[in-house]
Amino acid sequence: MSTPARKRLMRDFKRLQHDPPAGISGAPQDNNIMLWNAVIFGPDDTPWDGGTFKLTLQFTEDYPNKPPTVRFVSRMFHPNIYADGSICLDILQNQWSPIYDVAAILTSIQSLLCDPNPNSPANSEAARMFSENKREYNRRIREIVEQSWTAD
Amino acid sequence: MDSGDDIHDANDIESLNEDIESLNDNYDNYDDDAAAADYFDDDDDDDTHPAKSRRIEQSFTILKESDIRQRQEDDIRRVAAVPSIPHGAASILLCHYNWSVSRVNDAWFADEHEVRRTVGLLEKPVYDNPADAKELTCGICFEAYPLSEIETASCGHPFCFSCWGGYIGTSINDGPGCLLLRCPESACGAAVDQDMINLLASGEDKDKYDRYLLRSYIEDNKKTKWCPAPGCEHAVNFDPTGTGKDYDVSCLCSYSFCWNCTEESHRSVDCGTVSKWILKNSSESENVTWILAKTKPCPECKRPIEKNHGCMHMTCSQPCRFEFCWICLGAWRKHGGSCNRYESGEQNETEKRREMAKKSLEKYTHYYKRWASNQSSRQKAVADLQEMQSVHMKNLGDSQRQTELELKFITEAWLQIVECRRVLKWTYAYGYYLPDNEQAKKKFFEYLQGEAESGLERLHHCAEKVIQVFLSDDPPSPSEEFNDFRKKLTELTNVTRNYFENLVKALENVHDGNPCDLDKRPWGAGAMMNEMKE
Repeated sequence: MSTPARKRLMRDFKRLQHDPPAGISGAPQDNNIMLWNAVIFGPDDTPWDGGTFKLTLQFTEDYPNKPPTVRFVSRMFHPNIYADGSICLDILQNQWSPIYDVAAILTSIQSLLCDPNPNSPANSEAARMFSENKREYNRRIREIVEQSWTAD
Repeated sequence: MDSGDDIHDANDIESLNEDIESLNDNYDNYDDDAAAADYFDDDDDDDTHPAKSRRIEQSFTILKESDIRQRQEDDIRRVAAVPSIPHGAASILLCHYNWSVSRVNDAWFADEHEVRRTVGLLEKPVYDNPADAKELTCGICFEAYPLSEIETASCGHPFCFSCWGGYIGTSINDGPGCLLLRCPESACGAAVDQDMINLLASGEDKDKYDRYLLRSYIEDNKKTKWCPAPGCEHAVNFDPTGTGKDYDVSCLCSYSFCWNCTEESHRSVDCGTVSKWILKNSSESENVTWILAKTKPCPECKRPIEKNHGCMHMTCSQPCRFEFCWICLGAWRKHGGSCNRYESGEQNETEKRREMAKKSLEKYTHYYKRWASNQSSRQKAVADLQEMQSVHMKNLGDSQRQTELELKFITEAWLQIVECRRVLKWTYAYGYYLPDNEQAKKKFFEYLQGEAESGLERLHHCAEKVIQVFLSDDPPSPSEEFNDFRKKLTELTNVTRNYFENLVKALENVHDGNPCDLDKRPWGAGAMMNEMKE
């Protein structure tokens, strides 16, 4: 059955295949267009460089009028990412607009990696370290980057 | 201890309206009783504003749905009288400014540009679609559509009909926030007005939006509130410019409530006392007080124990099994059967606290019992009044050869009882919070309350019991006896009304800010009577 949500997700998928933004990739799981796996690559020339971070995106039939639930599967250390992998990002909550697509979501999350907002901390340790001890913060990020290679 | 009981009144009285309607004349006696004024409101004049009620100083108006819609439309038109503000925009402006026409006008003429920006009424599109295009791409589904299937808000961002429908529907189903809906484009603030909703939303969504708009007119407007009675769909417009602090409002559904706090009407007792009392009745804190007063903790495991019989040798239940003396709470083994010797300072802090808690619980129980029994007595009176009107009045008219008008004194008596029970009930909440150290005030209040209460009991007894002889299967024939009864009941009604007038006035004077004067005032009966005549 083709609903507006599914039609739109097919279109998002085609766009991601033909015209993928740098450093992200994503695809629906087999037989379920409402659940996607995605990978965000750590931006070059940053402490995140080389990391491959896996996420899932769970859509509902309200998409694109409601945002998907996005979660990191890989272990993260970031001021705006909770321990369970869920993400504190305005466009995934109250600033959502139906003009966003999967590419836009993943690009926003990618830029959040290097540009955290320490004022609304989801991980207080990471937030404190980000503002007070950048060296240690960067060291923890490189640990996370290395872990991202070995995890399932 | 369930404050929810209060709302039953509304249902109980619901059918009173029609019954009492027949007595729709000459009701001067109830001048100061807002409730009575509306008992007699004619149900047939659906289209007129019920504001033209008999009460001259009445500072409120009951609004039916048609009245609400009319007023809302009038306000929108008043804003739309400005040439540059179309109807849909006027509605959005009013939503933003809590439905105050003057606030919209003030803001608009002070800085139209700023108002347009915050509310999202753009003067010209910020997004230019190519002028010669035959097709445009929808910004949500990214498909191309002919111009006839594309719609835009004042900003010009193009979306197809079906995506608009989904966007609007999602927002409407999320709640009343849909009234401030903006263009789907992120960071574009252009407002989506009701005309667009009506063009693009499904029928069901349009109805919901319409409902939210109506609700917003009542709920976001400082001068209006919904009637809090369950199932009642009327609203109340209250004009605070009226005299003083009479917040009593009576809806067409015959529920009367306080405009200020929307609790059941409680004239003579202030809103703060009422809310404290209701909270107290519903809170668990009284249970805690009870446990404190009636139980002692096991000295070993500290679980509360209530002693219900038997000797002082206590054995705590499983698994503690500690044996102790109920009186001194010492271990039974060490104490060998008696703790009769007095040792000074023996009563420790816990003991004192328990004693105080017990006293405070007794005080609360005293007032609560009286509050609650007046409440149920009032509900019974409402039911009795109904029965009187639906069953007994006719029989009485036949057996005593009296006209309906001649029997009116019975209805009057019952209405007085219903009202007095309400007032009396709240005086018990008031009494509970009267500080113990203001003895003179307390004594005077209790004196008035006592007078009022015994008057009411006599009246209630007469209306409920003395009348029975005339309602029996074999009633005495028309006689002097019935005339005596009429005289007695009418007199009791008047006397009781006076007592309650005094009580209410005394309490209201306290609220007016001269509490210390209460005991100094020349409150002789004569003085009171004079005041009442004014």
